[in-house]
Amino acid sequence: MIKFTQRLLGPVTLACLAATFVLGLWVTPEDRTQKNLVRLLYVHPPIAWVALYVSFGTATIASCLYLWKRTRSMNMDRIAHCSMEVSAVFIVLTLITGSIWGRPTWGVWWAWDARLTSTAILGVFALAYLALRRANDDPVVRARRSAVFAILTAINVPIIHFSVVWWKTLHQGASVLTSTGQLNVHGSMLLAMLLGFVGFTLLFFWLLRERYRLEVKRDVASAATLDEALSLRRREGV
Amino acid sequence: MVEETRTDSLSPIEPPPATSRSSLRSLGVIGVLVIVVLVLLSQGLLQSLNYFETVDQALTQRVALGTKVIRLEGVVAPGTIARTNDGASFTITGSGNHRVFVVAQGSPPQLFQANIPVVVVGHFVSSTSLQFDGTQIMVKHSSSYIAAHPSRVKAPNGTSR
Repeated sequence: MIKFTQRLLGPVTLACLAATFVLGLWVTPEDRTQKNLVRLLYVHPPIAWVALYVSFGTATIASCLYLWKRTRSMNMDRIAHCSMEVSAVFIVLTLITGSIWGRPTWGVWWAWDARLTSTAILGVFALAYLALRRANDDPVVRARRSAVFAILTAINVPIIHFSVVWWKTLHQGASVLTSTGQLNVHGSMLLAMLLGFVGFTLLFFWLLRERYRLEVKRDVASAATLDEALSLRRREGV
Repeated sequence: MVEETRTDSLSPIEPPPATSRSSLRSLGVIGVLVIVVLVLLSQGLLQSLNYFETVDQALTQRVALGTKVIRLEGVVAPGTIARTNDGASFTITGSGNHRVFVVAQGSPPQLFQANIPVVVVGHFVSSTSLQFDGTQIMVKHSSSYIAAHPSRVKAPNGTSR
């Protein structure tokens, strides 16, 4: 059953994203104010959702589970690592799609407001996490330090979320996930956007699965190489 | 047998001081991270946690602000937009009856129009004037997305009515 679900993940992701693009580009109407620029609504918020909450959240939860003795395993460390890699990609995509949307709507590519600055800082945190992993040779030390770092930097996620509420920003407030639970998107536009959320979330899990598999293969290959090197040394009698 | 002994007596290779090297590299990463974050913060949050002053706030602190460069936010009053040689002039309003006359240089953004919130970078002409000289206009659009023609229906031939 699990294998069947996993096999379906790729095609379902592709179908959701294709449907989002068809709805977003051809079916949904223009916005009253933004006209056709609104079509970025079906891409930018879903990508930001994955970057901030889904992938960074998965990395943080996996890090917590690694640090907790009862659930500690290298699998948790791998999940955290792979999630953070995907998160870094999605944070960059968030900033790029945001800039593309910001130029015609706000009139600027970038503004140093609280939302944009804190998102850029999260991107730096994700890259620093990956650098920190490369800086440590011992797998156990690496896993522990990375987990602590991921949990500490996750504090930035609620800051990003509430930045538009706590401070005055150029970035608009939330359209979904609002404090009142109100949805500020109209009819079929909402449907396309929610489908985008589902599609990009599935894309994250598909990427995570593929990246995790690769990481397991890499670890197996690395262990095999080490064994081979040791046996070679033994044969040489060094 | 000799071979066996040799293998068993294989002396353990002295491990390099990996932990201290790793710690140094980790500290290096953290150091670079702190510097980059501080640079970003100095550009953004530390200078202006709040990105702009509203018209009401600016007029309340009118004397203190003087001719200092600020970002001023207000809603473009309908019927006040006029094109100038090098930009546009218009009036922005706050939540009360406060109004500021803006003369801005450069092309306004695509969404610039009446009744839309804008953030104008610039300064008041003098410490008593209500004229604001702007160098840049940014549009602060809302988070509501409403279909342009919600009641429009499609004809059987595919055209909109």
